[in-house]
Amino acid sequence: MKVFKEILFKAVTYFAAIFSILALFGIILTLFMEGIPMFQEVSLREFLFSSAWYPTNEHQSFGALALFFGSLAVTIGALVIAVPIGLGTAVYISEIAGSRTKEIIKPMIELLAGIPSVVYGLFGMAFLAPFLIRNIGIDSGLNIFTASIVLGIMIIPIISSMSEDALSTVPRALREASYGLGATRWETITRVVIPSAKTGIIGSFVLGFGRAIGETMVVIMVAGGAAQIPSSVFDPVRPLTTSIAVEMAETVLGSIHFHSLFALAIMLFIITFITNLFTELFLFKKVK
Amino acid sequence: MKLTKVILALVAILAIAMFVGCNNQNQEQTGSTLEGKITMSGSTTVLPIAQACAEEFMNQNPKVNISVRGGGSSIGIKDIMAGTVEIGNASRDAKGKEINKAKESGIDLYQNVVANDGIAIIVNPKNTITNLTLEQIQAIYTGKYTNWNELGGPDMNIVLISRDTSSGTYEVFYEIAMKKQNIVQNCIMVASNNAAVTSVKDTPGAISYAGLGYLSSSVKPVQVNGVDPTMANVLSGKYAVARKLNMYTNGAPQGITKTFIDFILSDEGQKIVEKQGFIKVK
Amino acid sequence: MVKELIKTKNLKLWFTDNYVLHDLDFTVYEKKITALIGPSGCGKSTLLRSFNRMNDLIPECKIEGEILLEGQNIYDSKADVTDVRTKIGMVFQRPNPFPKTIYNNVAYGLQIRGEKRKSVLDDVVEKSLRDAWIWDEVKDRLHTSALSLSGGQQQRMCIARALANQPKVLLLDEPTSALDPKSTAKIEELCIDLKDKVTILIVTHNIAQAGRISDYTTFMYLGDIIEFGETKRVFTVPKDKRTEDYLTGVFG
Repeated sequence: MKVFKEILFKAVTYFAAIFSILALFGIILTLFMEGIPMFQEVSLREFLFSSAWYPTNEHQSFGALALFFGSLAVTIGALVIAVPIGLGTAVYISEIAGSRTKEIIKPMIELLAGIPSVVYGLFGMAFLAPFLIRNIGIDSGLNIFTASIVLGIMIIPIISSMSEDALSTVPRALREASYGLGATRWETITRVVIPSAKTGIIGSFVLGFGRAIGETMVVIMVAGGAAQIPSSVFDPVRPLTTSIAVEMAETVLGSIHFHSLFALAIMLFIITFITNLFTELFLFKKVK
Repeated sequence: MKLTKVILALVAILAIAMFVGCNNQNQEQTGSTLEGKITMSGSTTVLPIAQACAEEFMNQNPKVNISVRGGGSSIGIKDIMAGTVEIGNASRDAKGKEINKAKESGIDLYQNVVANDGIAIIVNPKNTITNLTLEQIQAIYTGKYTNWNELGGPDMNIVLISRDTSSGTYEVFYEIAMKKQNIVQNCIMVASNNAAVTSVKDTPGAISYAGLGYLSSSVKPVQVNGVDPTMANVLSGKYAVARKLNMYTNGAPQGITKTFIDFILSDEGQKIVEKQGFIKVK
Repeated sequence: MVKELIKTKNLKLWFTDNYVLHDLDFTVYEKKITALIGPSGCGKSTLLRSFNRMNDLIPECKIEGEILLEGQNIYDSKADVTDVRTKIGMVFQRPNPFPKTIYNNVAYGLQIRGEKRKSVLDDVVEKSLRDAWIWDEVKDRLHTSALSLSGGQQQRMCIARALANQPKVLLLDEPTSALDPKSTAKIEELCIDLKDKVTILIVTHNIAQAGRISDYTTFMYLGDIIEFGETKRVFTVPKDKRTEDYLTGVFG
């Protein structure tokens, strides 16, 4: 009986562990099975290097380049905003704020993380976009700039809480060593504490990147949805996720358009996969 | 313990509610003796009307079975000619070619207009433009004009806003207003009629389009070829960016098919049509 | 002739309501090694950390009185704390190298003060590492991570890092407690060697170590300085019964 229980316990935990791996392979398999058929009718060259995305028009074309640039533009924009603010917040909470201030700020930032993305989208569309039109004189508020701000605000909590964890694990002894050599707080933070927490901090950026590039609702609502290669931060763009989510609803099952959306998903998957891979390699090398 | 009690109470309430609900339905359903089967296929634009009406019709006549498929307007007309469906849905009128071909195979393509579809071109209230020709609209959306002053309006960059390519409204605009010319790539795409209206309201240089049912005082509809986008003008056929939504049958509808189409054309059916965002026939 | 380098006057220190240092008057002589001994919790580390204002980092800490370095009160409102810490360097209980190269560890103090000239940095790094007796062991791998050094090497590198600031005083807070006997012996010899260049104040749990290397010994007990004097005298004829008990291992 006891032996049986042991075996059962082992089996249950084993399947629990293997479940996510199965899910991962299931997702990859689905993506490729549904995505590959597109290439029977659309060349890989058109898909990767053409920027003409006209999936429903009389003369269909499936160039994903503009969508790729759309995703890249809003994600980089979001990081440009969220990295300094997120890291700044983390440094403030971990190194500067008193314990009482910390108690107020930390839960507030966690609250920010709990807001559903559609609410961020509404904020961007109903408030930020018209605000920017009125105050910085742009023609339209639905563009890379607005999307970057909203996405940026959305990933600040990810970056700040993960970076803060990393900063707070930097041993006190290192801080003391730096202060003991006559360093100011600023010098200690920038030259010792942040470099020592580098792995965790870069990890937080990668997580933020993944969250931003995968975000769908916000970009549908504020990125503008125009399938073009942007030439300015005030141009509207159409990220990959927008096309997948908006067009999937109306596309005919099994059509080229249907398969092309899976091909976009493959592209998205590969981008995040490569990012993670590079981070692993980079961090691994540095730690070694 | 407490939680268990609360859950039990909720389950009980739900069960009672469902029982009462079922009872009501049964009472309604017992009235009809109509029996039969209708199949239809065709335009995905007509699909929501067909589907919503079919559901309500089957609700009232439980022994009737209606199956609805998409496929596009051409498929709808083809299926009628092949005799595989009772109703072929089309978001356009049958072409001369199709009518002739049908005649050759002894089929009389009979047009039943069940709804109208019209879209208004809208601009920001601050814009002084009041009328655009169809050619101007096409030139704007293909990127030939970039400033309103080229069209006699204020000196303001034109901000193009369109519905997303997957929407039915886009389809109408693309086919009727644009005559299937590609919209320029820098055009902003929004996901809903409301989003289009909101964006135009907030953006001084914007132009967009929306179903007639979605207009509000916060945006300004412009005349197209000098005609106001009103229900009356759509019905009379004067307004250009509009089309009829048809259910084609082989000859005048008969039997259960006639009952169903009559239902769609009744006040009740036309309310469903309006609910789906289209314009009544009468 | 010995010269007084540091004098404390009525030094009192609290952690919140906990009265830790009781009105201490204390003298450190120049170019000598002064050992601070006493049982755990007697305040010797706290006293040591008062000399480079390390206790400032603890918000609950409150200090009264004066610590005079060459006549200047380091707790004066006009005193520059980074300047104090440059003049009075510190080596900690556990080796705490930065996760940087050996070179950048040692050059850190100069770099934060804006020294960018490579020749100057090179010279100071070499001299400091030589003074800390570790140059020969690391000269071929100055640009590898300091974390790759052994514990004893790390601690000598930390001494070199402190020496690079050319401090007047070196505070050593139980610097050998985490090291093996061989590394300990090397650091003890190093301390004696350094005495010509810098004044050393060392906290140690190891009574024998204090006996071996220090010129003066201070015995602290429960926040008070019980006895201070030349090491030889304190170890042979302690004036206070408590000092004698501690040295003979009755408590500690």
